[in-house]
Formats: sequence, C-alpha cells, structure tokens
Amino acid sequence: MKHGINQKIPASRSIGLFVIGVLLIVLPFLLKSPYIMHIVIMTFIGIVLGMTFSMIYSVGRISLGAGAFYAIGAYASALLAMKLGLSFWLALPLATIITGIIALGLGSVILKGSGLSFGVISLLFALVIVQATGQVPFFGGWGGFWGIPAPDPLPVPFHTPIEFVRKTPYYYLILSLFLLIVLGFHALYTSRIGRTWRAIKLSPQLAETLGINLYRYRLLAFVIASTAAGVVGSFFSHYNRVIEPGAFGGFFSIYIQLYSVLGGLEFYILGPVVGSTIVTFVPEFLRVAEEFEPIITGVVLVVVILFFPGGILGTLQKFLRFDIASIFARTSKGVKALLLRVGNVRQ
Amino acid sequence: MTVSLFAQLLINGLAMGMLYILVVLGFDLILRVTNIFNFAHGEFYMLGAYALYFTCVVLQLPFIVALILSVIALALLGGICYIGVFQWVQRRFKPGMPFTYLLLTSAMASIGLRMIFSQGALVSFGTTARAVPSVFPQMIAIGDVSIPAERLATIVIGLVVLAGLYLLMFKTKLGKSMRAVSLDAVASSLQGINPSRTYLVGFAVGCGLCGIAGGIIAPIFAVTTDMAGHMLFLALLVMLLGGIGSYKGAILGGIIVGLLLSFGYHFIGGLSELFLFISAIVLLIFKPGGILGEARD
Repeated sequence: MKHGINQKIPASRSIGLFVIGVLLIVLPFLLKSPYIMHIVIMTFIGIVLGMTFSMIYSVGRISLGAGAFYAIGAYASALLAMKLGLSFWLALPLATIITGIIALGLGSVILKGSGLSFGVISLLFALVIVQATGQVPFFGGWGGFWGIPAPDPLPVPFHTPIEFVRKTPYYYLILSLFLLIVLGFHALYTSRIGRTWRAIKLSPQLAETLGINLYRYRLLAFVIASTAAGVVGSFFSHYNRVIEPGAFGGFFSIYIQLYSVLGGLEFYILGPVVGSTIVTFVPEFLRVAEEFEPIITGVVLVVVILFFPGGILGTLQKFLRFDIASIFARTSKGVKALLLRVGNVRQ
Repeated sequence: MTVSLFAQLLINGLAMGMLYILVVLGFDLILRVTNIFNFAHGEFYMLGAYALYFTCVVLQLPFIVALILSVIALALLGGICYIGVFQWVQRRFKPGMPFTYLLLTSAMASIGLRMIFSQGALVSFGTTARAVPSVFPQMIAIGDVSIPAERLATIVIGLVVLAGLYLLMFKTKLGKSMRAVSLDAVASSLQGINPSRTYLVGFAVGCGLCGIAGGIIAPIFAVTTDMAGHMLFLALLVMLLGGIGSYKGAILGGIIVGLLLSFGYHFIGGLSELFLFISAIVLLIFKPGGILGEARD
C-alpha cells in the first residue's frame, strides 16, 4: 500500500505544516481586533469539541451529548477556583481528572448497550447537567458563576510574568492546549489503538472475531474524548470568567456535531478544523442579515447533508483528488490490511 | 393534601400527559416507518399552535374547524418537508447500514430544518406571546372539587385522536402497509406496497399529530416560538421511558411523565425535572429498551 502506516511525511507537506505553524504563532500580531481574537479562541474550542465527537464516532458510536463533558470541565474548574480558591494551573488538571472519572463511570455503564441507547442516554445526560447546574444552588443556579478568577500570572525567565488580561496570552494558552490535544489524538489514531478503533468502526463483528474487546476500546475512546472536552471546558470557564447553564443546553451539544459533519465525518482531526472554522467565521461575514443567519446556516446544513454526504473535505477529495487521505484517512484495502495486522493473522 | 388539590393535579398531569402522548406517537411513527430521527418535531408542534392561532383568532373560525384546518396544514407541511428533504436523506440509506449512521444523517438534516423553522418563526411572528381565548372557560364542580373544563376537553380530544389513530393503524389497509414498511421495506414492496408513498403518508400523519397537540395546547398556554425545544426533549424522554416503537409504551410513558411533572412541580418545584431525567437514565441503564419496548441496535 502506498498509504502505509509508518509513511514519512513528504517534504512539501512538512513545509506546509511549518507555514501553518508560523502563521498560528504570529496570528495575534496580524489581528489587532480583540473581537476577532475572541472568535479565533472560540473556534479552537469548537475544533476540540468536534474532535471529541469524531473520536467517539470513530468507534461507531454517535454521542448526542458531546457538550456535557465540556460543561462538566467548566463547572468543575469554576467550583475548584471559587469554592476552594485554587489557581487555574491547579484547577485545570484537577478538573480534567474529575471529568475523566465521571466519563469513566458513565461510559462503563452506557457503552454496554446498543448504539441508539448510547446516543439518547448521552443526550439525556447533557440535559441532566443543565438541569443539575441550574436547579442546585451549590452549582451556581440558573444565574451561573460570575467573576471566575483569571489564570495567575505565569512566571517566565528573563521576562516579566505573563498577565492574563488581554486576549493574546489566552490565545497562546488555548493554542498550546489545542496542539497538545491534536498531537495526542493524532498519535492515538496512528497507533495500534487507533488501528483497532478503525477496525471496530469498519465492522464490529469482524473485529470481535479477531479477539478485540469492543467494550474496552470504545470505553477508552469515550474517556479520552470526554477528558479532552473537559480540558477546553476548564479553559473556557477561566477565559470567559462567566459560566451559566443556558450556554450548555441540549442544542449546544447537537450543534457540535455540525462541525464534524460539515467538515467531513471521516476526517477525525481535519474535519472539525474545517467545520468549526466555517461555522464560526461565515456567520461573521453574513452580519448584514443577522436575523436570517440561522436560516442560512440551516439551509447550508441541509444541502451539505443531502448532496455532499462526505462533508466539505470528503467532497473536495472526491472531485479535486485532494491528497489529504494519505495522512488521515484510509482506503478500504488499507483497512483490510490493518484488520489482519491487528489480529496478527497472515493472509 | 386535600381531595380538590389532588384532583386538580391529577387532571392537569393527565392533560399534559395526553399532549406528550400525541407528540411522541407522531415522533415514533416517523422514526419507525421512515427511520428518520426528526429533531424538527418540536418545531412542528410549535407551528401547530401558531396554525391554530391563525385559524382561530385571525380567521375567527370555530374551534373544531380551526383545529381540523391546522392539522391539515401541518400534515401538508410535513409532506412537503418529506418530499423536499427527508426523501433525499432516505435515498442514502442502504439495507444493512449501521443504525448510528441513519441516526446521524437524519438528525443532522432535521437539525438544519429545525434552525430554518425556529428562526423563520421568530423572524415572522416575533417574540410576543400570542394568546388564543379559552374555548371552554367553565369550571366543572363535583362536590368541592372544581376542575377546569379545558383540561378535561384536552383529555377527551386526545382520547378521540388516539382511538382514530388506533383505527387507522390497525383497521385500515393504509395502517397495515405502514406497519409492514416499518418492519421491512423491501419485503413489503414485494407484496405490492408502494414504500415511498407509505413513507410520505407516515411522515404527514406524524406531523399531523403534532398539529393536534399544538392546537389543543394553544388555548391553554401562550403561544411562543420557544415552546419547541422543551417539548422535544420531554417527548424524547417519554419515548425512551415507554420504549421506542411501542404504542402502549408511549401512552404509559406520557401518563407517567405528565403526572410526575404535575405533582413534582407542585411539591418540589423545578427539581422535579432533574429527578425525572436522572431516574430515566437509571431506568434506561438497567432496561435499555424502556418499560415496554425492546432494545434495538
């Protein structure tokens, strides 16, 4: 196979990645408007959430409550900071761990059922989170938390400590979290675990006959994805400094899927990148017709679903012979080879 | 707790439960016959209430005529949506496709439709709540128990519709063909049933049921554009609780949720919804198919 597993990234592509990397680093100096910076930061959050949805999709499960663990991360971090007075740098890892534990508890129960029951229970769980944070005064009530402390100044050698007042430090913070998550996800998708996930997605029955424990691998994907959502949730609560239950409602979860579906479901990392960027930025250019913007988004969504089922990247790949496949996607032949490799079976 | 309070809460709960039953039966019918998970269903309910407002208040028609007209309008709208959108979604379905894929595709298409409808309604009707004058403003007094007549009327209309739906689904050829298609579309087309026509009728009937629910809620509560989302989530809960694809389950789930919320709001306030959702999750963990349904993959 040309698109092998351990294929080296060709020189042209590494130059492309380098250019994108430099662009991301100098972006705050190019964009002066704090409003645009805010949208860029929210786009990064959207990308990570879309990637968590795609990771659960990559093991053949549809989560309709992708926003639930984002909300848990945000609330855990806010509670740790407000009630215990912890700094952001301690609250972030603790909130991540709390999110992971809750995901492990929920996932170990609901992943045993069918695909439909997983989808609907995850949606109900997202609604429970909204109700619980709204109804219980300890979690802030419907008014939410106000005045969540910003991250403490970060000491840097040979420089004054970085104060988290303006958008730029937040941008670099979310950029580094984002890159960490992307690298981690990419490493997972290309590792043995990722190959097993693809095998499960392709055919659960076949994977099971090769001795793969479906439940355990699905649980792994669910917990990792939810933990990543918790990381950005924690960031969001200290960035926005206000969180309220209404922001994490049932339709918020559903709109997260839009990022993945619009970008291309089979592109687990690039799909959410494209989808989230388009969904966040295109309405900004449609400001002329602000009240008609959801209608336009809805029409675009219906058209994409009906006529471009592969999403934007899938369609590009089909018509322009766009060669992103070699890094992220796979051909069916390749997967068959993978299946055999996972099961250590020789042809 | 006095007898009169108990009776009022009971009647209120049953009336709300009847609404959930109508919405859920429509949702369930669409899901089973056409395999489409319709997130826009709450919007059809909202549009049903607006249709009744239009026919009853603007055109000054008598209530029953207005209700029938708005149901026909909703069924037509459902048919148009099916032909315009969901028919094309279904073309992507192939036999043997995993259910998760069907769920995702139809869910995304219907979310797009939902955005169009809800924002369209907001743009054209505005945020002001519309009020339809009560059709049965009387109070029925039995001893010291007084019950609003409109709640009783809701239950009675709901029961009539349920009986009609039963006759349609189990006593007519059309209902038989819908049930056959929901079991196996390919096999039923071999028996001379036209699946695409059956899909269209099933979708229209499901939306018509929403029209009835929206129509009978309009004189009781104010008609606003944000009534859709809450109803959709409660309807999903009722469907899961009762069991997907079970008429008896939908009715049982609707009654349970209606009564629990009616008594819950009165005694523990807003926390009742939280308890309802948590207990539903716990129940679904132990009985994934709901109370009366079968688990399905």
